[in-house]
Amino acid sequence: MQANVKKILLVDDDLDLLEQNKILVESKGYKVITADNSKKGWELFKSEKPDAAIIDLIMEEYDSGFILCYKIKKDEWGKNIPVFILTSATYTTGFKFGSTTAEEKEWIKCDEIINKPVEVDALIRKLENYFASKQV
Amino acid sequence: MISVTETAQAENIEVRNKPKVLIVEDEKGLRLGTKRLLQGEGYNVTAAETGNEGVSLGTASEFDLAVIDLRMPDLDGIEVMKEIVKIFPNTVCFIVTAYASYDTAIEAAKVGAYSYIPKPFNPPELLDQLRKGYERRTLLLEAEKWRKEREERLLEITFEKTRLNTVINSITDGVLVVNKNGEVVLYNPSAMRYLNLEKISIEEYIIDKLHPSISDLINKFLGTNNFERKSYSTQIEIKNASGQKGPGDALFIEATSSPVPHPDGTLAGVVVTIKNITEMKKIEMLKSQFVSMVSHELKAPVAAVYGYLKLLSDGSLNISREQQANYIIRSQIRLDGLLKMVNDLLDISRMEMKTVQRELKDLNLLEIIKGVIDLLHFETSKKNIEVEINKAENVPSFRADSDEMIRLFTNLISNAVKYNKDNGKINIDINDENKFIVIKISDTGIGLKPAEKEKLFQEFFRAKNEKTKNISGTGLGLSIVKRIVDSYSGKIEAESEYGTGTCFKVSLPH
Repeated sequence: MQANVKKILLVDDDLDLLEQNKILVESKGYKVITADNSKKGWELFKSEKPDAAIIDLIMEEYDSGFILCYKIKKDEWGKNIPVFILTSATYTTGFKFGSTTAEEKEWIKCDEIINKPVEVDALIRKLENYFASKQV
Repeated sequence: MISVTETAQAENIEVRNKPKVLIVEDEKGLRLGTKRLLQGEGYNVTAAETGNEGVSLGTASEFDLAVIDLRMPDLDGIEVMKEIVKIFPNTVCFIVTAYASYDTAIEAAKVGAYSYIPKPFNPPELLDQLRKGYERRTLLLEAEKWRKEREERLLEITFEKTRLNTVINSITDGVLVVNKNGEVVLYNPSAMRYLNLEKISIEEYIIDKLHPSISDLINKFLGTNNFERKSYSTQIEIKNASGQKGPGDALFIEATSSPVPHPDGTLAGVVVTIKNITEMKKIEMLKSQFVSMVSHELKAPVAAVYGYLKLLSDGSLNISREQQANYIIRSQIRLDGLLKMVNDLLDISRMEMKTVQRELKDLNLLEIIKGVIDLLHFETSKKNIEVEINKAENVPSFRADSDEMIRLFTNLISNAVKYNKDNGKINIDINDENKFIVIKISDTGIGLKPAEKEKLFQEFFRAKNEKTKNISGTGLGLSIVKRIVDSYSGKIEAESEYGTGTCFKVSLPH
């Protein structure tokens, strides 16, 4: 049973949001590991081999989340796990991005871009869809 | 008295209005007789006895009429007439001759005589001739007056046209006028530059050479006489000559088209004015960048507090009492930070709008700094930080608003406390250097990395690393400091080594 509990990596430089999302994701029956910057996030990813990663976009730099995601997706373990990016940028600036254009597909490797504040039920549903499709 | 003067004036006018006649006649009897006759008829008569006298009188002042004898011992009447007309072409001349013949008449007319008068003449015939001659003279003068006026007006029009062209060519906005067929009527060099055209020829069809958006603007009017008297505008980003597009060298223009109506209301053409709005666009971009940055920064604490409230109100979660208490404290801290940020933003906005009411006084900066240190006593003693102030002698007072100076040094010194190590030190030096009061505030804190130093004064920049993680701040403190220093024409510099400390040097001109 314990072996079936999925491990989720949360990376966010806002310690409060990190704590909140941890509580929420844990309440859905996942094991959560957290990092408050992308460097720690990468180290934790390497050592813990999580089943999914949920990363805040703007941390040290405006694109820290994308860069960490890119690294994870290049990794032998990481290429098989879903990576979600959290952002409030699309909401406040109206600035649109996704992984639709060729350039975006090249650089933005994440599976989902999720707007903040996070609707945890929707987030978990999406995660479970990814896990389910992997099992098939 | 008054009536006498009026009479005199009336006579003068009459004298002036009398037709002036020059009689050139060598025969005394005829000369005097004619003079008397004409004076009796109200003419102003001058008589010359010889041809030469006639020339000198007739060329010295202008006569309306000249009655010249053809045969005179010294000079032929025709010669006399020629000389007079050379100077005064509008003097109407009569040739008087006893040898009246068809040939004489023709000869006289050829050299410009108005008519000839046969001798001996009878008074009514002479008077009739002179009356007609005077009418002729009046017409000539009138005609000349019109001609002169017309010439003057033409000159004026030419001058106006040149002046208008000079003005249009000098203005920095582009001007392009097309007629209703879309052919160029007028343009200036700025228009050529903004429209990216190498050459424009008058009367060439231009619509298809213009940027499509500008063609559309013009086409709103062309081909219709039921145009509305209003203007249309559009903003366009123009690529530069090399065809590259980029924020650094992009050119933004605003083109406005307006109809040019004929006096009868039908369409004569369209005038397009083109304005360079690149600077405006850049400011707009900076503004929206700032707004989105502000929104992001304001949203973060709101989202954090919102998240905690949701956790606290969600009964399905297993949250311990200890956690609950912690969430409430965290929420308060985030809201406190939010409030500080809003206050800082309001300060910045007041500084930007220059609505800050300044009360300038001669201030002793040492006293101000001592006051700030007293205010920060709680923070310094908590971290056991020692503060040392050194002030050189003869540092003059500084004329400034005391609230702004307190704000300036509070922000700098509280940073020196916040980013200091426990049991650290803060050194404050006040010196007078080349007309500048120089205040150095050095701490023994965590210091700055070179990349962080560059962004130090940017709004919302906060050095993010392991050591600053638990230090709160709005990211606006130094940006406010810089604005205050700038507003006093001062300078602020930071020297720092990561791990050993930072020194802020403020120079204020006195």
